[in-house]
Amino acid sequence: MMKHAWLPLSIVGIALWAVVGSSIHADAPKIVPPVAKDQPAKTAPVVAVAKPAAVPAKSGQPLAIDAAIALDEPTVSSLASSPCDDLTFLRRVHFDLVGGPPTVAEARAFLADKDSARRSRLIDRLLANPDHSWYWSQVLDAWWMERRPAKHVDAKLWRDYLRDSLAQGKGLDTLVKEMLTADGTDEKTRPAARFVLDRELDTHLVVRDISRLFLGANLQCAQCHDHPRIDNYKQAHYHGLLAYFQRTYLFDDPKLKKKVLAEKADGEVEFQSVFDPKKITRKRAPGVPGGPERPDPVLAKDQLYISAPAKEVRGVPRHSRRSLLANDLTAGKALARNLANRFWAQLLGKGVVHPLDQIHEDNPPSHPALLDSLTETLLQARYDHKALLRVICNSAAYQRGGEARAGQPKNAEDRLLIARLRPLSPEQMGHALLFATGQVEAERKALGAKATPEAVWPRVEAQAAPFIAVLAAQPGNPDQFEARLEQALFLANHGHLQQFLPPRPGNLMERLLAEKDPAKAADELYLAVFTRLSSADEKVEMARALQEKDKQTALRDLLWALLGSAEFRFIG
Amino acid sequence: MRPEIARYACNSPEHTLNRRSMLGVLGGGLATATSAGSLLANPLARQHKRVLMVFLSGGVSQLETWDPKPGAPTGGPFRAIPTSAPGVHICELLPYTASQMHRLALVRGVNTAEDDHGKGSHIIHTGRRQEPSLEYPHLGSVAAKFVADADNPIPGYLNVVPGGGGGSNAADAAFLGPRYGSVTISDGRAPANIDRPVDPLREQQRHDLRRAADQRFMARRKSAQTEAYTQTYDQALQLMQKKALFDLTSEPAKLTESYGTHDFGRHCVLARRLLEGGAPFVKISHTNYDTHHENFDFHIEQLAEFDKPFATLIEDLHQRGLLSTTLVMVVSEFGRTPNINRNYGRDHWSKAWSVALGGCGIRGGSFCGKTNAQGTEVVDRQVHGGHLFATYLKALGLDPAKKYYVDQRPIPMVDPTGSPIGEVLS
Amino acid sequence: MTQEKPKPKEAPKPPPPPPEPIAGYNLATLKQAAELKNGSPLLACRFSPDARWLITTAQDNTIQQWDLAPDKDGKIAGKKVDMAGHASWTRAISFSADNKWLITAGYDGLLLTWPLGVAHPEPVRQVQAHTGWIRGVDCQANQVLTGGNDGRLAIHLLPDLRPSRAWQAHDCHIYQASFSPDGKFILSADLKGRVKVWDQQSGALVREFAVAALHKYDAGFGADIGGVRAWSFSPDGSSIVCTGITNVSNAFAGVGNPLYVVANWTTGEIRAELKPKEAFQGTGWGVCWHRAGFILGAAGGNGGMLWAWRDDFKVPVKPEPAKTEPKKDARKEEKKLEPIAEFVAHKLADNVRDMCLSANGKKLAIAYQGGIARVHTLA
Repeated sequence: MMKHAWLPLSIVGIALWAVVGSSIHADAPKIVPPVAKDQPAKTAPVVAVAKPAAVPAKSGQPLAIDAAIALDEPTVSSLASSPCDDLTFLRRVHFDLVGGPPTVAEARAFLADKDSARRSRLIDRLLANPDHSWYWSQVLDAWWMERRPAKHVDAKLWRDYLRDSLAQGKGLDTLVKEMLTADGTDEKTRPAARFVLDRELDTHLVVRDISRLFLGANLQCAQCHDHPRIDNYKQAHYHGLLAYFQRTYLFDDPKLKKKVLAEKADGEVEFQSVFDPKKITRKRAPGVPGGPERPDPVLAKDQLYISAPAKEVRGVPRHSRRSLLANDLTAGKALARNLANRFWAQLLGKGVVHPLDQIHEDNPPSHPALLDSLTETLLQARYDHKALLRVICNSAAYQRGGEARAGQPKNAEDRLLIARLRPLSPEQMGHALLFATGQVEAERKALGAKATPEAVWPRVEAQAAPFIAVLAAQPGNPDQFEARLEQALFLANHGHLQQFLPPRPGNLMERLLAEKDPAKAADELYLAVFTRLSSADEKVEMARALQEKDKQTALRDLLWALLGSAEFRFIG
Repeated sequence: MRPEIARYACNSPEHTLNRRSMLGVLGGGLATATSAGSLLANPLARQHKRVLMVFLSGGVSQLETWDPKPGAPTGGPFRAIPTSAPGVHICELLPYTASQMHRLALVRGVNTAEDDHGKGSHIIHTGRRQEPSLEYPHLGSVAAKFVADADNPIPGYLNVVPGGGGGSNAADAAFLGPRYGSVTISDGRAPANIDRPVDPLREQQRHDLRRAADQRFMARRKSAQTEAYTQTYDQALQLMQKKALFDLTSEPAKLTESYGTHDFGRHCVLARRLLEGGAPFVKISHTNYDTHHENFDFHIEQLAEFDKPFATLIEDLHQRGLLSTTLVMVVSEFGRTPNINRNYGRDHWSKAWSVALGGCGIRGGSFCGKTNAQGTEVVDRQVHGGHLFATYLKALGLDPAKKYYVDQRPIPMVDPTGSPIGEVLS
Repeated sequence: MTQEKPKPKEAPKPPPPPPEPIAGYNLATLKQAAELKNGSPLLACRFSPDARWLITTAQDNTIQQWDLAPDKDGKIAGKKVDMAGHASWTRAISFSADNKWLITAGYDGLLLTWPLGVAHPEPVRQVQAHTGWIRGVDCQANQVLTGGNDGRLAIHLLPDLRPSRAWQAHDCHIYQASFSPDGKFILSADLKGRVKVWDQQSGALVREFAVAALHKYDAGFGADIGGVRAWSFSPDGSSIVCTGITNVSNAFAGVGNPLYVVANWTTGEIRAELKPKEAFQGTGWGVCWHRAGFILGAAGGNGGMLWAWRDDFKVPVKPEPAKTEPKKDARKEEKKLEPIAEFVAHKLADNVRDMCLSANGKKLAIAYQGGIARVHTLA
């Protein structure tokens, strides 16, 4: 797996020269004539998309993303699409870093920015914006809780916990450790226990989800036997993870009047394979897949407990297997590799290993060097998610355009030669509807000086909730795009969307009604909804709408039509 | 002409070829002579052929329905009764259906060799075993594509399901493309938000604007997902136009009483209305028959609920002159074990079970296939899912020997090891 | 395969003391008097009033008459005669009090009388008493009471089974039909656990109550599960104990537990819920209220079990839930009974299909799915 991690500099250098040498021309017209192979365009790069050529991999430094992709996919130099234009980039990176599209004002400001480093400056700005932690706490919540209902832990406190952790720059490994060790007895750390408590400490569910969500390896099928199709998912792996949790139990805390986690000092995992005719019982000490077994330390009988379990007494052992899991899970590279893969999938629409919970030898990464690079980046940044996001967003691969180039293979998207057209997540779509109609700006205007993120976000979330509900997966399942009839009926006919269309101080319709010039009105509309300028056809369409007797109705219909279109629903 | 097979790997240049140039290539003589497209279904659409699939979810017992074995150690407590078809006896739990047997046919030698619910269901819906390399379209999607009347604004594959849940499933259509995917009708009720918020003219206008925007965008960028997404709006509009079909209150009281007021009865009335309204394929389901425990008690309960509405539906379709153009099938994931387990249950059994057919292209009163005295094995005329699928296509006037072309690759419409069951075809 | 979820440790329990004999009956061991082997799985069993014969029924539609007369060594050979008369399964068996007639009612809706104890019994009389299954039958003097899946109760008169009276009694399948011990009332129970009390003379409905714990509508499968699978009157005649399946989480896989519910049928009050200490998955298929002061319950599911409860229960009532707790359904508003645990439990070899007690209380018979009936002596 690691064979591409460290490479002779010469190879890296050639590959990078090829990447950077292809036409990177952010201000260029939409259609860039394909550049002949082996003949780099003469135009100097206006925007520094990626700097890997100048900074080849030093010893101990991870290989840059584009250099890694060039190793995995040598045709990238000749076949990759041109970089996307500034507004496409703006829309993309806004959705990915703060969860919604830019406002018209932000789009115009970015268009006016002539600094060659404007893209990377924007990335830094968005990462520093408080909106970033608000949005990414939603992402992590959807990843890790999969829209399960709150049972023992207040969902708001859990979100606050995630958001504060992200804002403080807490490493994701620390976050995961806290989620596995928190026992729910301390109100301050209780929200972190939601991962376990709101799965009702169903140990098989917890083990399955730890394997899926933290290790990217769905071991569920290895519960009763070695996985029938995947050679390196062993029953012993499953039970090794189970052994960490085996001794933990739910305890009714008499003072808190809440469920908390307690743990015993005994209880061993034994298992048989259902395929084994001899039904041999095997014992399993704790251990993460691929790691060593972790036998219990030998303790005298009277030394087993800090507090021994009894009625009304929460068991706390001196040696906690569950705490051991938090250490073992974050000690190797598996967690980083899984997280790196998930971040990539979140931003690029598909994992380097796909499906995300099927990391194993028979399902190799599409781009092994890329996955190594992402993993090492995260590890070297001590699990700082912003560092990883910054590197991804600055890469040429992320900023790839969506225009096809002659000679591209059919699977150009999978080979990272062209931008993937990817659907908005339920949260992104919910926010997009509120941003595009100017509802968020109207809320900000109404709040005036009090329009802090703490004041605005809860309103946005409440108003987006009905959209998210109709788009999200069933509880306990990862979100995946599904075009469903009832979603279309909801967006077409339900009053929830219609209420954001009429004019309101600060919103889009108010600005459109005030604009006499059809061309300017069209740009205002298309910048708000699609983050792009309008085409000639679209200007004509707008002129027609403005001539209608009932101008507002005509504009509302046009706005609704754009919100219901595929261009709005997808990130290009 | 080649059938329009949706295929989107990406936004690659091949894919962005416009339609004219694509046809140009085909006109250049590269098109293969045999293709399912040659059956593209104008003549069929004019005949308004339709399909009604009745899915008995969980695996109905063949011994308690179409292939009773009274007196055998595996027979259970029920007796066999004569039917309106000479020589055909069915289980006493289906007295009303027995009076319609002259309009139905029985295939008693089904061996699908698959005892898993999901995989069995796949065989019944697609006529094939699941393959890792290729997804196959459901019969409903095939009907939506090849049997539907293009002028009729109703989604081609309607799936009426009991209880909640809903939406549509573009994946059912596989390579035929999302517009032929199934549309779920939860609990037989009109979907939520089916009422238009604006007048029809405005509605038309705003959807025209939406389509124009989509056209502009999809000329530049498109994928299977964008197509499926835009399709759902058109399906929504189609369904909104046909909202009245969901209103059962206009049915004569006596008829609805005869169908019964429980869910399955209502779904049967709705199915008839939808078929009458031009739907090419309607699936209704009755749940549940997965009787590992108390098989006999539960089959009394469930079949009592199934029998009369189903028989009423057949009679109703006949009286309206629709039965001769409506292919009917009563299917399940599999049958149930002849062996009665210790909890009076029967378990999954795909080795020897039965399917009932009727209507369009089916010879009423016919039967085919035979199981042994205990019902454990097929002893005559064994068939599998491919045979059933071939029979459906043949009954609808389609040629089961035709092929689809997916990425130039010929894909037989029917598993080539299955052929139409001539004995039950008219 | 894997261990259970950890539970807080408890102090090791001392072994339970052997149960004390009740009125001379020691139930700590079950003494087997006879093992009666039939080929086809058994469905039901009943002793003749004089306990000379055991009648069983089987899945091949046949009925067996077993001779329980001991040989000169005191052993019961259990000579069997197979009887054919029904075209379906039979679970309803009764007798005329004079030991003259065996009465059977089947899933074919037929009511049959047979001469009891003859070498080659043939049905003497036959009437189509119901449409569909008959599960309940009882005989008092010359009256034969039946209850069927058609929801009707019917009375036919011995010896010729002349129809006397029939009426629509329930809107779903009737599972039990019995005369009250004093003969003045008729009791019937159905799939939904509803019990109805009728005036024997006039046929008027006197009382109706529900043994709600023995029924559930499983919405996932779209079917009712439950019913009073067996019942037995108290020695004083005023109470009745009903059994079946409760706590059903998956009807079609039979995931639920047997429960024995004691009701005072003269008032409709539920007196007690008798529940095994160790959870057993299955259905209560047999219950017998012994006049010596205990109740025997048998169940089949994942194997078989037999439990015994003392009938001197003083019913502890669960404290009312805190007022703040929202009341979710009507059943919860009812008085909650603390379940009563058995004093003895026996694991049986196989799934129980039925159980019966001889009139003198000295013999117990259990019919099994494996085709065996075992007769035990109670002492």
